[in-house]
Amino acid sequence: MIRLEGVTKSYKTSTRPALDEVEVDVDKGEFIFLIGPSGSGKSTFLRLLLREEVPSKGRVYVSNFDVAKMARRRIPRLRQSIGCVFQDFRLLTNKTVFENVAFALEVIGKPRSTVRKVVPEVLELVGLDGKADRMPNELSGGEQQRVAIARAFVNRPLVLLADEPTGNLDPDTSQDIMLLLERINRTGTTVVMATHDHSIVDSMRRRVVELQLGKIVRDDKRGVYGVGR
Amino acid sequence: MRASFVFSEVATGLRRNITMTIAMILTTAISLGLLGGGLLIVRVIDKMQDMYYDQIEVTVNLTNDISANDPNCSQQMCSTIRASLSDNPAVESVIFENQEQAYERFKKIFEAEPELVRLARKEALPASFQVKLKDPSRADVIVDAYSGQPGVKQVNDQGVFLERFFGVLNGVRDATFAVALVQAVAALLLISNTIQMSAYTRRTEVGIMRLVGATRWYTQLPFLLEAVFAGLIGAVLAIGGLMLAKVTFLDRVLEAPIASGIVPRIEMLDIVLVSPWLLASSVVISAVTGYITLRLYVRH
Repeated sequence: MIRLEGVTKSYKTSTRPALDEVEVDVDKGEFIFLIGPSGSGKSTFLRLLLREEVPSKGRVYVSNFDVAKMARRRIPRLRQSIGCVFQDFRLLTNKTVFENVAFALEVIGKPRSTVRKVVPEVLELVGLDGKADRMPNELSGGEQQRVAIARAFVNRPLVLLADEPTGNLDPDTSQDIMLLLERINRTGTTVVMATHDHSIVDSMRRRVVELQLGKIVRDDKRGVYGVGR
Repeated sequence: MRASFVFSEVATGLRRNITMTIAMILTTAISLGLLGGGLLIVRVIDKMQDMYYDQIEVTVNLTNDISANDPNCSQQMCSTIRASLSDNPAVESVIFENQEQAYERFKKIFEAEPELVRLARKEALPASFQVKLKDPSRADVIVDAYSGQPGVKQVNDQGVFLERFFGVLNGVRDATFAVALVQAVAALLLISNTIQMSAYTRRTEVGIMRLVGATRWYTQLPFLLEAVFAGLIGAVLAIGGLMLAKVTFLDRVLEAPIASGIVPRIEMLDIVLVSPWLLASSVVISAVTGYITLRLYVRH
């Protein structure tokens, strides 16, 4: 589903590449943690998958997309098959929960009938049924992240990228969000989650890819956050 | 493409930047109003040229000698000139006017100013041929051919005076277009600025749109339509302004010259005929400005 072949990404402003000869292969339906300290290249990794960046060297594949080589006008197609969740939720504060989720469908031209059918379904899936008409500022952090996940998932993407999704949440709420991501993963969606959260990684016992200074230093099938740390 | 979505985005965008929107609309309206004014002047000039063209004559003034001694154009020198003019292929008709007739005409023209009539002497007015040409623009041929001929004092082409008059009108027209152009530049910059502001205030939305895979059209069309919509409102205001100016101002100020047939009336039809140009320019200018702004300043 996701494959990086010899990917190097250098920025003009830095002498050391952000990613250095990275090789990763992620199967359909896998759940992987991307760990490593700040500046280790996790964000660059995710941005390459979204074609927010192009690699300096190597190839990136997501599903059938040759991400680094594809034409610019096809980028929307790629992004429609990838859902994204961030630490800061990135909700539209002037829209209700329903409108926030519907927005993701409206802007890719989905008909109103689809929006009206699909949005309540996904809100129920993330456990927000009954809160469709609330504004984001009336919700707790955990609830806001659920809205963000609903928005990322509403178009049934093949891949869900989560960049520190629990970074702003307390441990209990984080556990709930992880359960939700697991449920989404069980529908067959490949999940890539960048995180710093030891306890989550340790309790989930999923594949762990660790980056340090742009290099992959570990790739465990059922890993924990850090051995001896 | 879902029209309802795009239009609600446009409405929100225009409302959010309401002061800029108004500035953009007003500047566009003034610019287009001036452009429309210029186009109306062009139409007036065309009408006047048609109106005056038929009446243009060349006057061949005869020497004092002939004027004083040959009231019927029966002597040799005068009749030779008459015959030569009549035979000229460029000439349509020739009318002889003797000194007496010239004086009568002078008195009639200046009826309202008895002082002037009293001061004028009959002997100062020359006898003349009023020559009507088949093609009034070719008056120079006659002027060249008869100037300095024996018996001819002077050849006047009325067209020359008319040209000077139209020259003034053309100058007014050009000045109007120039001011319209300056205003257009201001309108252009305002449109560009408004779009940038609009894009900035909506950067979160646009960021999410890009992330979920909205196409360029979806992310940028609302901004473009905002500009076009404001431009169209500006054009409508400009057209309304021209009509208002005609009814409340022009018709009154020009009442006398219009009544005496010197200046043609600007009809509502003229404004209606000019309107499509104003609407089209507003759409083209705002759309092109919007597109270029988005290309240059707003990252997709």
